[in-house]
Amino acid sequence: MIFIIDSLNLREHEPLVKDMFRLRKRVFADRLGWDVRVSQGMERDRFDDLDPAHVISVDDEGRVVGCMRLLQTTGPHMLSDVFGAILDGEPPLRSATCWEATRFCVDTEVLTGGRASNSISYVTSEVMIGAFEFAMSAGVTDAVAVIDPVMDRVLKRSGNAPHGYLGTPKPMGKVTALAALMDCSEERVARIRAFSGIDHDVMQPHRVTA
Amino acid sequence: MDIIDLSTVDTSDENCLEYLDQLCAQLGFDYASYATTSPLTGAVQGYANYPDAWKMHYMRRNLHRVDPTIHKSALSIAPVDWSRFDRDERFHAVFFAAGDFGISPQGLTVPVRGPYGDRGLLSVTRACSRAEWDKLKRAVVGDLQAAAVHLHDAVMRSDVISRALRQPRLSAREIEVLQWVAAGKSQMDIGDILNISHRTVEVHLRSARDKLGTLSIVQAVGRAIGLGMIYPR
Repeated sequence: MIFIIDSLNLREHEPLVKDMFRLRKRVFADRLGWDVRVSQGMERDRFDDLDPAHVISVDDEGRVVGCMRLLQTTGPHMLSDVFGAILDGEPPLRSATCWEATRFCVDTEVLTGGRASNSISYVTSEVMIGAFEFAMSAGVTDAVAVIDPVMDRVLKRSGNAPHGYLGTPKPMGKVTALAALMDCSEERVARIRAFSGIDHDVMQPHRVTA
Repeated sequence: MDIIDLSTVDTSDENCLEYLDQLCAQLGFDYASYATTSPLTGAVQGYANYPDAWKMHYMRRNLHRVDPTIHKSALSIAPVDWSRFDRDERFHAVFFAAGDFGISPQGLTVPVRGPYGDRGLLSVTRACSRAEWDKLKRAVVGDLQAAAVHLHDAVMRSDVISRALRQPRLSAREIEVLQWVAAGKSQMDIGDILNISHRTVEVHLRSARDKLGTLSIVQAVGRAIGLGMIYPR
């Protein structure tokens, strides 16, 4: 199930958010070897202090198994700052209808292969559906996502191929990072749903929409 | 939207109010307002086309200090429906009397963030059924996003220091795509020429438009020519 958590409803969901920071530490610090700040077993950076929205996937046992962070590209965001190298020195996008997605990850330690609801593929699709539906409700038409080549391949295989890329892939820790563009549209959500077999509403009952 | 282009006129109070009036008329809202806190001076700047009696009431009671549409909405990256606010003391302080002035508590606030940490808020209201409201929101939320960033940028440009900081910086790709638009090519053609998808062309065009502070792609081409970024065909 997907929770959209921002600075408006953060206080109701603090345990989930802490678990999300712990998942991000396991993925970005431990597995991918990115140069990220870790404290008390959690990975947090200054963009988490800029009131982003988090898309969080929680499994049936209440564990945080996937997440993504969203920021407006009109304001400060990672591509305009720390990931500038990916853009080869070019100025970043700035658009009221394009959000930036960063820290996109799933828990490969507890999730399995295959297509079941505890699989990497299922949770990846669920996070993407949640993010795109939230974006559409906000009038946002596109997203630029900072991802690694493994995630890029997962997206291409799951009916969710990027429609373009910005700049060129750059080494980051043990992997490379690239900036992929995806439209936030009914068509894309339908393709992800068809691939993943997710035909139910993924959002938690007290959903956040614009 | 056929609406006043604030990048072509002085950012005067009259023009900002005219912009809000036209926005309401075009999109079907009762009232609209805009507020920002300057990151340089801390001063609050705002415009609203509410009835004068309500504006007086609001100012006399300093309701901006407790107004959740201001203090809560700035924390979101997405437009915030006022139904999301707790019906607490602060909400009632603002909205209890609003009804007497013909102001509906049914509204939406679109938060804008600028590159220097500045934030702006465009709010709209309309008294109608919930179903009608939801339908209206879905239909115009994209237009509201574009309108909010346009108005916010116009207000930010209106002070001299901000204007100096805000020379638009377009990427080589954005300039290339605008140059092809100036040459009369369609998004589809441009995608083929540059070997990128037409959707990616659209993302570059919208970004260039927002950076140049214009409302349409055609105006963006004109502005880019004016700034010497691209050449007329």
